[in-house]
Amino acid sequence: MKNGVNAGHKGVFTAEVLSNQQIRENYYRLNLRLDAIGSRYFQSAVPGQFLELDLSELPLPPEEKIPPALRDSAHRHILLRRPFSFSDVIVLPSHEGPCVKLEILYCVLGPATLRMMSLTSGTVVNVLGPLGNGFTIPKTLKRAILIAGGMGAPPLLHLGGYLKRHFSEVQTVCFAGARSCEDLPFTLKIGNITGLVLEEFDVLGIPSRVATDDGSAGFKGFVTECAGQWLSDNRPHPKDTILYACGPEPMLAEAAKLAEAFDLSCQVSMERRMACGIGLCQSCAVEIKTGATQTEYKLCCKDGPVFDSRKVVFQR
Amino acid sequence: MEQTIDLSVDFAGLKLSNPVLTASGTCGYGDELAEFMDVSKLGGVIIKSITPAPRKGNPTPRIVETDAGMLNAIGLANIGLERFVHEKIPILEQLGTVVFVNVAGQMIDDYVQVVRRLSQERAIAGFELNISCPNVKQGSISFGTDPSQIRQITGQVKAACGAKPLIVKLTPQVTDICVLARAAVEAGADALSLVNTFTAMVIDIENRRPVLANRTGGLSGPAIKPIAIYLVSKVYQDVAKPAGIPILGGGGIRTASDVVEFMIAGATAVTIGTATFVQPDTATRVIDNLRNYCERKGIRSIRQLTGSLQ
Ligand SMILES: Cc1cc2nc3c(=O)[nH]c(=O)nc-3n(C[C@H](O)[C@H](O)[C@H](O)COP(=O)(O)OP(=O)(O)OC[C@H]3O[C@@H](n4cnc5c(N)ncnc54)[C@H](O)[C@@H]3O)c2cc1C
Ligand SMILES: Cc1cc2nc3c(=O)[nH]c(=O)nc-3n(C[C@H](O)[C@H](O)[C@H](O)COP(=O)(O)O)c2cc1C
Ligand code: FES
Repeated sequence: MKNGVNAGHKGVFTAEVLSNQQIRENYYRLNLRLDAIGSRYFQSAVPGQFLELDLSELPLPPEEKIPPALRDSAHRHILLRRPFSFSDVIVLPSHEGPCVKLEILYCVLGPATLRMMSLTSGTVVNVLGPLGNGFTIPKTLKRAILIAGGMGAPPLLHLGGYLKRHFSEVQTVCFAGARSCEDLPFTLKIGNITGLVLEEFDVLGIPSRVATDDGSAGFKGFVTECAGQWLSDNRPHPKDTILYACGPEPMLAEAAKLAEAFDLSCQVSMERRMACGIGLCQSCAVEIKTGATQTEYKLCCKDGPVFDSRKVVFQR
Repeated sequence: MEQTIDLSVDFAGLKLSNPVLTASGTCGYGDELAEFMDVSKLGGVIIKSITPAPRKGNPTPRIVETDAGMLNAIGLANIGLERFVHEKIPILEQLGTVVFVNVAGQMIDDYVQVVRRLSQERAIAGFELNISCPNVKQGSISFGTDPSQIRQITGQVKAACGAKPLIVKLTPQVTDICVLARAAVEAGADALSLVNTFTAMVIDIENRRPVLANRTGGLSGPAIKPIAIYLVSKVYQDVAKPAGIPILGGGGIRTASDVVEFMIAGATAVTIGTATFVQPDTATRVIDNLRNYCERKGIRSIRQLTGSLQ
């Protein structure tokens, strides 16, 4: 091990579950305390990076807790790790070195996330991370516009908190969208001026807007339309404004168009099926423009998951 | 008194410090793994397939998980010969382990070109001829299923290897793998590598489409291990043992017991692939556990295991 256990490096370690709370149907918030090695790796982790959990040895939750749509496929065996972003990283200094706590928001979709439901406080999980490159925050940044779609929210929540802590002069606004209000991994509340806001961003002092495709909460329509209206009204300066987006690929493609229309730079966090997460297998290719007509594949896990939206060839 | 256990093996004219190598396509260019383990402890690494020109590979999804395995259709994505020489060889020189390069192509000349260029490189110990990749439309597997083509490609590539050994990686997807193994050996192969992945498909029942963009992919992982064991024992008995040619066995290895099983079946050395994705330091853990196995069984030299099937 040439590099030793240091900040900026990655590795395999364990973490203890502090809590695993249901936030709404199929959505959970998992809090972990990393061991000493993991804490050193994660002390300088940045928003947009991710980790991989080995969930293969976790038991299934009791039959009655398994969502009906997943009962049939629940018993499929798991081999590979699963990638997750984090929504917060807290570094607590101590005499024995840093102690890191981190938070994951997850949605129950298949056999691995189903098994995560069974995690209770005290359970130890095996973690690989921190992985990939996170969002870039230039010193000249004055305004950050966060656009979150569905489960794309966690890294943007982390980014919001990170900006408040380390770049307090940056004005941040968040737009969060989902198919319906049931699919928003956040707590909704009535804001002072703007109608529905997200509690998690409100406590950070970040104004937020909600959009749902079916109009069950907030703006009726796509989150990018909602952000587009705001951009038309506010016209932020292209030189010191960045759009940060995370969510399903069609939403990221729309965010990229929006950025182009308003001449803003935009960083998108991409998702791919991953076998290794560390650049060994080439399974997580993202097509990147290298010239007027040329493209090449970059690795989502190693070169990303955050890319400059102008460079990405989005898949439909 | 503590006995020293000799894990070293002789493989195709090379001495490997132990029989455990990382499989082509599952250990990048060797450097990525250095963050997770001491690569110099490995018996060797096999670099992913190199082709003369860079290859972008297939569209995504390129992988899907199955019960006890996974399918991949990467499509031989690689940086091409020139970039490999300039960017990766200097790194490989630092790894401190035996490096084999897996070579692929569409025509025999492609293979010859890569091998001829790399045969001059000190950092590279030998080559693995990939005539068994199921995920590209031209070349590769089409060579690997016809004995006369195997003879031709093995002969021509061997001539370009210089003094370096040539391992021929066989596809398991033929009626009689021994016919192909024999063809490779007769044409000058220094070792046989088996098995590569098995062509397979996963269908998304919601939209009735294959999950992989390539529609099919190669199945690897624990699911294929018993088939691989059977094929290694068959090729060992019928071809490798009579010819005195070593086998590089692999397919689904996760533990030291798996390695022992492959060696008993007839492998001299083994490769670990998919397991590295789950636990990046699988290979070095396995090496430590091999030592424990030998100790427990009173085995002084691990070479005793090869072909010891009763
Ligand atoms: C960089 C990255 C960060 C992520 N962060 C989070 C997070 O913070 N919270 C969260 O809940 N999930 C996150 N995910 C997605 C998460 O990894 C998957 O939901 C999980 O692997 C599903 O595993 P499963 O066995 O439960 O379901 P599976 O049966 O494996 O998958 C369920 C469904 O999700 C789709 N799917 C699975 N993996 C992916 C993927 N990588 N990209 C796109 N679609 C996929 C499948 O097509 C399938 O329809 C992230 C993925 C990546 C690549
Ligand atoms: C993602 C992936 C990529 C692979 N790429 C190559 C390759 O480029 N060349 C090759 O000869 N074999 C390739 N293989 C096959 C492996 O080297 C190995 O033969 C096979 O996966 C069986 O071993 P395993 O079950 O331990 O993975 C690849 C396998 C995987 C899973
Ligand atoms: S997931 Fe293996 S290279 Fe990205």
